[in-house]
Amino acid sequence: MPEYKGMVQPVRATPEELRKIFVEPVPDEQKPEKALEYLDNIRKKFRSFVVAMESCVKCGQCAENCHTYLGTRDPNNIPANRAELIRKIYRRYFTLEGRWFGKLAGAEDISLDVIEQWYSYFYQCSQCRRCAHVCPFGIDTCEVTFIGRQLLHWLGITPKLHANTGGGMEKTGNHMTLPKPGIVDTLEFMSEEIMDIFGVEVEFPVDKPNSDILYIPSSADFMLNEYTLMGAGMFFTYIGANWTIPSTVTEAGNFGFLFDQYYTQRGNVNKLLNAAHELGVKKIVWGECGHGWRAAKMYIPSMADRPVRWPLTHIHDEVADLIRKGELKLNPEKNSQPVTLHDPCNYVRACGLNDNMRTIIHAVTTDFREMTPHGTDNFCCGGGSGILFDDPEMYQRRIQLSQKKADQVRATGVGSEGNGILCAPCSICKAQLYPMVEEHELGVEVKGLIDLVGKALVWK
Amino acid sequence: MKLLIGQILPYITVTLFTLGVLYRLGRWVGPRIVHNITLSPWPKTNTEVAVRIGAEAFLFRNLFRFDKALWAGAILMHFALLNIIGGHVVGFGFLGEQFALIPGLGISPELSREMSDMLGTVFGLVLFVTLLYLLFRRLTLTHVRQVSKISDNLWLIYLTVLVGVGDIMRLFNSVHVEYVEVRDYIVALALFQPVTGMHLLDNYFFLTHFLLVQILLIVFPYSKLMHIFGMFAERWIVNRVYKDPAPGLPNVDVAAARRAGIGVPSGDAAEEGV
Repeated sequence: MPEYKGMVQPVRATPEELRKIFVEPVPDEQKPEKALEYLDNIRKKFRSFVVAMESCVKCGQCAENCHTYLGTRDPNNIPANRAELIRKIYRRYFTLEGRWFGKLAGAEDISLDVIEQWYSYFYQCSQCRRCAHVCPFGIDTCEVTFIGRQLLHWLGITPKLHANTGGGMEKTGNHMTLPKPGIVDTLEFMSEEIMDIFGVEVEFPVDKPNSDILYIPSSADFMLNEYTLMGAGMFFTYIGANWTIPSTVTEAGNFGFLFDQYYTQRGNVNKLLNAAHELGVKKIVWGECGHGWRAAKMYIPSMADRPVRWPLTHIHDEVADLIRKGELKLNPEKNSQPVTLHDPCNYVRACGLNDNMRTIIHAVTTDFREMTPHGTDNFCCGGGSGILFDDPEMYQRRIQLSQKKADQVRATGVGSEGNGILCAPCSICKAQLYPMVEEHELGVEVKGLIDLVGKALVWK
Repeated sequence: MKLLIGQILPYITVTLFTLGVLYRLGRWVGPRIVHNITLSPWPKTNTEVAVRIGAEAFLFRNLFRFDKALWAGAILMHFALLNIIGGHVVGFGFLGEQFALIPGLGISPELSREMSDMLGTVFGLVLFVTLLYLLFRRLTLTHVRQVSKISDNLWLIYLTVLVGVGDIMRLFNSVHVEYVEVRDYIVALALFQPVTGMHLLDNYFFLTHFLLVQILLIVFPYSKLMHIFGMFAERWIVNRVYKDPAPGLPNVDVAAARRAGIGVPSGDAAEEGV
């Protein structure tokens, strides 16, 4: 039952599922004590966490700027209060004021109930960094929920979705558990589709030795967002690149970033570097995936177990660069419906992709309308950090979390004729928005940005 | 009482405050900045970093962008506070004649004393009112009430009382304190001389004000007031220089690829004469 004392919670991974990703669940009666032990250990390592614990003045600015609070109006979903769920324990055990003054200093004893609170509220946080963006001090609640989720994982409390996604990566090299033959088949099918729809010949080389470019697509692009992968294939063919997709890492995402940075995320990083090494590539180009791009661009340097010899860029960086140099012939009339852009949080607040996305979208569409707010001020889709839970209670919560996004899309008017495009160039945004545009009846179709590029390329 | 608050406690306060702040800052220096979590768009030079952090620290940029009512209260409060702390130092240090020392302005010592009095009173009242405003905000706005703990409200009340007592000494002649009395007192303390006989310590408003300040300084390192340092510690993590790797793909020549007609089916190519 995904509810605990009135709090919604995602369905949990079973002990067997957790053992597959090398975690042994801690028995309930030992959980509080172990949680303290792990917290004490980790607080001595991360300054971002300590400063977040000790600097908040509760000005309340984050509240009205968090889509989770706006959608649920649950006080524990205010970023300052979400962090307080762990801060009250931190104070009680690791600060003088908490030990001496207890409740007056906002300290509380650890208990199983507190741990269950963590599980409920840390998995309602999208880790979108909008609170860090608006906080007068820049306090990043992400740093608190990352560590909260890590502690929960070590205790053996992990959502089924996250654990199985991590397990899929371990087993097959992608989140969707697609084996290599399935990938090769799907790509051949995509080549045929491209021929049928666009009339061009595109091949998707897999594990081609001595390639120059390693392209890392999101595994969701094989099944759900096939036009994104087709667009990428068309782009690389159009520019005559010597590129390949590695069968060992057919995944731009890295769910380890979202629940287990110590083992799962680090493991995925090193798997990628092995693939780059074996295929002899010169550069790694990333596909459309928000958290995955942040996990790669910003975390590979500090997570790699060797010097990183390969420059790493996003496919948007490369497309935008060629557009600026005037090397791509694009026909924006191919995308003449009204289009709005949902800025994936990780792109604009953690990876600096703001301008490049706009360079591209202006070049490939004729009726582009900005949302308010947009760019770095944008709100999350409501599914950020992989909280795409499907059980009834959590699904209802997802609808609430996407309320702000729905209001924003509606205000642009792109869906008023029922033929609008909501461009959301991130696999988690897409997975959240496919059902959400239906739930909120927005009259738009969700697309990636490379989908639109592929469509607009002029071949002759 | 005079002996305790006026003679003994100040030395304890200074010691505890200094050690406390150092202890707290030490706790922040131990853990490292493990991963790069700088917020984008990134500053590209250290000057940009300084401008960004400066705008947040001195102009409260984010509050201005996202909550004008909070910004107005917060910046007025902090600006008044900064001036009052500075005013205590220069006012007592130069006996109110600090403005006369600025060369080229031609301000007389008398005018300087009047200016000092007036600025002190105005900022004292502004601080008092803005503290009440921030307390009012904490008690009335739903989302702020939801994040407030007892201690948040207690701090505002404490500061309001502390400032209120100070303001009373400014506004009422019967309890007024002369600059020179305070200067002599502080000098005596600094020279480890006995001060209990001083007329200043017969003023109960002064004693109260002085005691409240000392308690505040002792508790300061263990309180939210540490945010004056925390703000810079946090910004140091999230606003750093970052430089993107250069775009550009190896061995790619788009013009040549298009001339060769890569991707265009050969039948088509023949028809179109590519």
